[in-house]
Amino acid sequence: MFNATEFLGSSIGSSGITWYDVLLLVAILALFTLIAQLITNRLRKSLEDKLPKNDLGILLKIIYFGIIGLGLVIGLPNIDLSGILLAGGIAGIVIGFASQSVVSNFISGLFLIVERPIKIGDNISVGDVIGSVEDIRILSTIVRTYDGIYVRLPNEQVFTSNITNYVANAARRFGYVVGIRYEDDADKAVSIIKKVIWEHPFALKNPGPSVFVDELGDNGVNIIIKIWAPSRVWWSVKTEMLWKIKVALEAEGIEIPFPQRTVWFPDGIRMQAGPSDEDSS
Amino acid sequence: MYGRFGYDYGYSDDSVTVGITPGKGFYCYSRTIAGGDSVQKRILSDAGRIIVNPVEPLNLPEEITNYLEIAFEPMIVEPFANKDVFLTFPVEIGIFVAAKKNIQVLDIFSLSPQKYSLYGPSSGGLITRWWHSEVFDAVPEVNHNILGIMQLTIENTTREWVELSRAVFEGYGMKIYYGGPVSMVARMKIMSPRLAETEFFDHSLVEGQKKALELYTARELHVVRRTCPMEWGMI
Repeated sequence: MFNATEFLGSSIGSSGITWYDVLLLVAILALFTLIAQLITNRLRKSLEDKLPKNDLGILLKIIYFGIIGLGLVIGLPNIDLSGILLAGGIAGIVIGFASQSVVSNFISGLFLIVERPIKIGDNISVGDVIGSVEDIRILSTIVRTYDGIYVRLPNEQVFTSNITNYVANAARRFGYVVGIRYEDDADKAVSIIKKVIWEHPFALKNPGPSVFVDELGDNGVNIIIKIWAPSRVWWSVKTEMLWKIKVALEAEGIEIPFPQRTVWFPDGIRMQAGPSDEDSS
Repeated sequence: MYGRFGYDYGYSDDSVTVGITPGKGFYCYSRTIAGGDSVQKRILSDAGRIIVNPVEPLNLPEEITNYLEIAFEPMIVEPFANKDVFLTFPVEIGIFVAAKKNIQVLDIFSLSPQKYSLYGPSSGGLITRWWHSEVFDAVPEVNHNILGIMQLTIENTTREWVELSRAVFEGYGMKIYYGGPVSMVARMKIMSPRLAETEFFDHSLVEGQKKALELYTARELHVVRRTCPMEWGMI
């Protein structure tokens, strides 16, 4: 007849660990995982308006894994670790080699959290992946590209790659080249463009915009426009401003030139009418 | 315009029309700015109150910063001086709906133009809501729907003459009062020719004013005294 008490007290191999120890550890871990889930959910609700998303995410992860770690510490003293170490010596070496990249990703993840070259919500470029950081996990970083595609980058790859963070600084600059005709007044065009820039709330007052004639081009006069905008909204400013500038210039009679070429014939042009032209005349 | 009203609230002048009209099973809030945008929202509520008061001028066209920068004509302040000046600031008007001990923002609008700026370097600097003000030696007459008045006490704690032409304030800690002028009372403490700190005081500019509901307190952990360091100069 099966005796449950005797089974739970029996040792697993020669390690000295009983089935009771294993069950107790699993139960404690399950309980602490549940507690961690409850606490982090409650904290997320109460702090989500009060802390930046990235800081909140890191804080919640520390609390979550801290509580589970505490459960592990409480559950482990019942287990004789020397038995595990002895029995798992060779297995440990094998697992060590196999988990080399996992450890590397884990350490890189820790450095990413400490050094903070990127934060959740930042617009970044890592290698050929460009998008918004969705999450920084223990082993990987999740990026959502601007096309909405989910990309998982191992933390080691993120940490060892060149990272371009488009929103790390408070403001960034963008620019346009706008051409006007030679017969248009460039000074007037510059003042119209400056007025359009001034009227946009997010085209920054300081550093001020630069608007100047840059080149006397083949088809027209090229005006360079450089505008500073808050990094958080620079893309929407960029997409709005160019058309507003075009509309404002045209409203004042200043037009964007078409490509054109003047050809001089030293002997003049002799036109020869074709048969169809003669018929029609 | 400002105050606490029932669901029969309505206000109209040359520049803005705001009001609530009853519908079938709901109320309809509408706001139209002359030559500007308009908003309509439905309120599914049986009874409640409408609260209209000025809020921190940091929300429009969208909230991207907590800092207000007021630029003014340069002033030279003598060593150890303690002087009061009056500045204007842009007013943003918040419409709140309140019922069953809970308040919700219904709309925020402004009749003042918005402009933003960068205080400090692009790396590490602050995006600010930028405003240019004249400097007054007494409370100026302004349109309270458009402009507020800030009493700024400038305290030069240094042994040197200091030139300043701007002040930067943090939204957390702004205490706005209304009823008569829309006002704030603040202090700028100059620690060195390139370093100062600003803070707000929680009292009205004139007697009998009411304190406005704040948007920037619920989002922040409570602190007793909040100052805003100006680390990148005052010119």
